[in-house]
Amino acid sequence: MLTAAELDALRLSLQVALVAVACSLPAAVAAAWLLARCDFPGKSLLDAVIHLPLVLPPVVIGFFLLLLFGTKGPLGGWLYEHLGIRLIFTRWGAALAAAVMAFPLMVRAIRLALEAVDRGLEAAARTLGASRLDVFCSITLPLMLPGILSGCIVAFAAALGDFGATITFVGNVQGETQTLSLAIYSLTQTPDGDAAALRLVLISLAVAIAALVVSEALARRVRLFIGRA
Amino acid sequence: MPTLRDVVLAASAALLALLAAAAGAQSQAQSQQRSLAQAPAPAAGELVVFAAASLQNAFAEVGRLHAAAGGTPLRFSFASSGVLARQIEQGAPAAIFASADEQWMDYLQRRQLVATGSRKSLLVNRLVLVVPADNVASVTIGPGFDFAALLGKDGRWVTGDPSNVPVGRYAQEALTRLGAWTAAKPRLVRAENVRVALAFVERGEAAAGIVYETDAAVSKKVRIAGVFPPDSHAPVSYPVAAMAKHDTPAARAFLHFLDSEQAREVFRKYGFTVR
Amino acid sequence: MNAPDERLVIAVRKHLGDFALQCDLGLPLAGLTAIFGASGSGKSTLLNLVAGLLRPDDGRIAVGSTVFFDHAARVDMPVEQRALGVVFQDARLFPHLTVRGNLHYGWRRAGARAKPAPIGFDQVVALLGIAALLERRPHTLSGGEKQRVALGRALLAQPRLLLMDEPLAALDAARKVEVLPYIERLRDELRVPILYVTHALDEVLRLATAVVLLEHGQVAVAGPLADVAAQPAAAARFGADIGALAYGRIAAHDERYGQTTIRFDAFELRVPRVALKVGAAVRARIPARDVALALSRPADVSISNRIEGRIETINPLNESGSQVEVAVRVAPATVLRALVTREAVDRLGLQPGLSLWCLVKAVALDAGTLALASGAAATRGAAANDEPGRGAPQRAR
Repeated sequence: MLTAAELDALRLSLQVALVAVACSLPAAVAAAWLLARCDFPGKSLLDAVIHLPLVLPPVVIGFFLLLLFGTKGPLGGWLYEHLGIRLIFTRWGAALAAAVMAFPLMVRAIRLALEAVDRGLEAAARTLGASRLDVFCSITLPLMLPGILSGCIVAFAAALGDFGATITFVGNVQGETQTLSLAIYSLTQTPDGDAAALRLVLISLAVAIAALVVSEALARRVRLFIGRA
Repeated sequence: MPTLRDVVLAASAALLALLAAAAGAQSQAQSQQRSLAQAPAPAAGELVVFAAASLQNAFAEVGRLHAAAGGTPLRFSFASSGVLARQIEQGAPAAIFASADEQWMDYLQRRQLVATGSRKSLLVNRLVLVVPADNVASVTIGPGFDFAALLGKDGRWVTGDPSNVPVGRYAQEALTRLGAWTAAKPRLVRAENVRVALAFVERGEAAAGIVYETDAAVSKKVRIAGVFPPDSHAPVSYPVAAMAKHDTPAARAFLHFLDSEQAREVFRKYGFTVR
Repeated sequence: MNAPDERLVIAVRKHLGDFALQCDLGLPLAGLTAIFGASGSGKSTLLNLVAGLLRPDDGRIAVGSTVFFDHAARVDMPVEQRALGVVFQDARLFPHLTVRGNLHYGWRRAGARAKPAPIGFDQVVALLGIAALLERRPHTLSGGEKQRVALGRALLAQPRLLLMDEPLAALDAARKVEVLPYIERLRDELRVPILYVTHALDEVLRLATAVVLLEHGQVAVAGPLADVAAQPAAAARFGADIGALAYGRIAAHDERYGQTTIRFDAFELRVPRVALKVGAAVRARIPARDVALALSRPADVSISNRIEGRIETINPLNESGSQVEVAVRVAPATVLRALVTREAVDRLGLQPGLSLWCLVKAVALDAGTLALASGAAATRGAAANDEPGRGAPQRAR
């Protein structure tokens, strides 16, 4: 039914998107915390930088990543020399590109969830003997769970669908960086590739719908868990 | 409430980002190969020319000569021949199409989009293997040549996507004939057009690339490690034609100009062989 | 838990916008101290300062020998180390935990603090009657149930001091009636000192053994409740009618008429039947509004509580002087107050020194262990009752 290349693209897309979401989650929570709860010089700057992927063309973001993480770039060069890690042309680079594009969406959702947590509950927890870290882990985080979940789903969808940043940063390497978006793009350039492209489009649609359904079910469970019927 | 200072800082950050992007976009090797060509809206009296990416430099200069000689002003769009052909098929208002292989022109001809009698094969190019300029390796490309050795342990090579970009097609054909395709295929990075491939090699990200001789000539950051023997692939021939839906006297005039001695000199200068 | 002579020292200053709080208090570490005042008087601010949720600008807060805050010595103990239990107006139960989970929250974090006599889980659950609620989620509980769980949660954190911030303010009348007795039980059975913030006078009068009155961020009055209540201008200060406080014991029950007789140091009162054993100690509050005066002992009147006494003072209660409070000494240690009009005073010719009768229509009763009732007044009352023959008991006829 599906050719090897198409299966590759599907498997790769899922892998890249999952890795992107999982790795950016802690950073997103930290960023949301900084923006929601802290005040420091340069806070607006941080906010602006985090939201750049939303306003800049994806190709520009990909280009930035290329400058930074290419084998000759400041960060990419260091990674290659000291850890033997190369990001360009690899699925990890694709995950990075997807993660950067999805990051602002994740931060927004998590920040909203954080701001919705009743500070009074946190104060109550402290009076019961919990340190600030303890309060975060035992009270704040569980109550943020629905928001974190929705942030992950949105980020997953954005990561899955990224094209411009991925192709600019890590190129189109079948089996390694050719996600569903890139595969569809290649196929639409190929004469008589329309049928195959359509197949992949339907697969992408199916994945997106499945993600939505799963997220709805999970969200309902979590809402019950934290006691909002 | 963000203070004025914060707003200024944030705006500066965004501006910096845009400037950096613009600066990068302006650098020679990167400027036009990124044009996932949009269909340009022609001004009245402008001639829209769609041409393969490898023709970028040469056609731009020819265009200038054409205008100086009193010809209709030209508006160019350079991209992979496949992209351009598909756009014309969707109705892009190109008057002239110059492709990097006969196949894409055939594609349009089959769909009755080529103006009768206007097609002619103009130029010939050669296929070369390039490496970053600091790599002094040289290789004789013949049957059974060891491509993998050039790439090293985990290096990758780049060319246009063989499924639709002419240079990639030629490369796949050549490597297959020489028996190196099976080993090479898993290491391939597919670029949207030949100039993107060139850029990857220039930046040192790709260990090697297969591009046209004319592309290697315009770049100082790559050097040619080997030339593909002409019998390893179909001739790299550039057909050019007027498009049926915009077949005007101005279009035909430009086609005629391409044949002129002035234009031929420019093509030769850039390394093309002129028929 | 604390040595009887240890105090809760709150000597602080705090600015919040336009508002300034300043106080210098040494509160007992036993019984229930009420912090009373109108909205905006600084009561909750004071509580938050003790809890550590707000930091004072200057001063010192200490519980016995443990210093919570000392500006000069740069000591500021974090909230979680202060070993306090706090009950908030809105319960603040954690929605993602069951009642049991909520109760365990502070308990688990109390560590070894509570030895040698920790407050036990079963003890608290029984005391507050929440055994049936243990596996429920907070959002399924009623307001009263939530507050009882909140009380339990604060107690199980093994606090050295319990802070309550208007815990009944968000409850309707029926729920208040439900929860109040539990607070009384807390005060009497668990020996944890309580700091209780409220703007409801009836809660103060029913629960408090000591009271602090805050007005615009300053301490207007502070001390044991009976002492404060006995001051002449107390009624005006508290903005309401305290009346007189008297300490006595249940003498007998009359099943036929459904009444109970209470014996005080020099008189008796009949009240509707109360569910207390004979001999139980009670504190009676007799609102001045419910006391009428008669020059002679009236026979054909419905009020059965008629007490003889002598006028001590007559004070105007409002600016125009149309409302007057008459203080009548009915026993060596008891002064009843009556709210009458100036017109009545003139008509009856009332003046200090005059003998007359007090007619008591209603009495508010409050049961409690005498040991916690504020010092001298309580012991005086009890001693008088235990020694028959000291002063002829004045029966209400």
